[in-house]
Amino acid sequence: MLFSDRSIWTMVHGIVLGGGSLLGITALLTALTLLRPAGREAPPAVAAPSKMIALAALCTSVMLWLTVVIGTYVSFPTYRAVPPPGTTDLGAYPKSLIQSNPQTAWLHSFAMESKEHVPWIAAMLVTAVAFTAMRHHRSLLQDARVNGTARLFLVMAFLLVAYASVLGIFVNKVAPLA
Amino acid sequence: MTSQGHEAPAPGAVHAAFLAAGIGSFAMGFITVLHEAGVYSAPTIYGPAGGVSGRTTFAVAAWLIAWAVLHRLWRRRPIRGAVPGVACALLVLAGLLCTFPPLWQLL
Repeated sequence: MLFSDRSIWTMVHGIVLGGGSLLGITALLTALTLLRPAGREAPPAVAAPSKMIALAALCTSVMLWLTVVIGTYVSFPTYRAVPPPGTTDLGAYPKSLIQSNPQTAWLHSFAMESKEHVPWIAAMLVTAVAFTAMRHHRSLLQDARVNGTARLFLVMAFLLVAYASVLGIFVNKVAPLA
Repeated sequence: MTSQGHEAPAPGAVHAAFLAAGIGSFAMGFITVLHEAGVYSAPTIYGPAGGVSGRTTFAVAAWLIAWAVLHRLWRRRPIRGAVPGVACALLVLAGLLCTFPPLWQLL
């Protein structure tokens, strides 16, 4: 078998869903920036774009929640599995492998400890934007303050997801879930 | 916004969603820092995932409860004035700071 179940779940978590979330956040941020209300002039008709934005926001939010739930409940348990006493090959136990080398120990104490919590915050932020896009799209596109807060949330979510993704790549390079 | 140039107040439900996200973010950080300080550890919800399953579940519960309460209070009330963007951002930043591992070394 070319890829193990663990490896496939890791790719689904990191590349498919995590990468998709980053793309979705970027698209939303671009759309909200391009369609932001300028000054106090009457906004253009935005019915069609607002439906697309609501759909994109919903999809992004769902992808991000799937990313964090799969990361926490599928990938993380395999990462933190404890090797039986006397095990010398730690290849199947990423956490133990990382901690066995002082040069890579930070990948657990800093990288994984951050990754455990930060993406959940990003998911909450994107969900708030998705709710607004779906239920109050007029405010999102016509109220400068709502639009600005939504874009602020999206920027923060993007940075958090990108940060967690980069740390995940580092961990997976040293101790892949193969 | 009307054609006269006056912005209509944003629905209270929008404020509620944004502020609840800030509260949820802060809850995540607060629960994490309580755990790291040895003050309180949320119970493990799913054994193989360890304590993070309890911490994240509690934070999500705090977020949803805050959202439900704020939504109920504000949903029918158009709110004038600034969306609490600054308050939300500060709550999120405080939450993030609390989830920053080097901070735990200071506890």
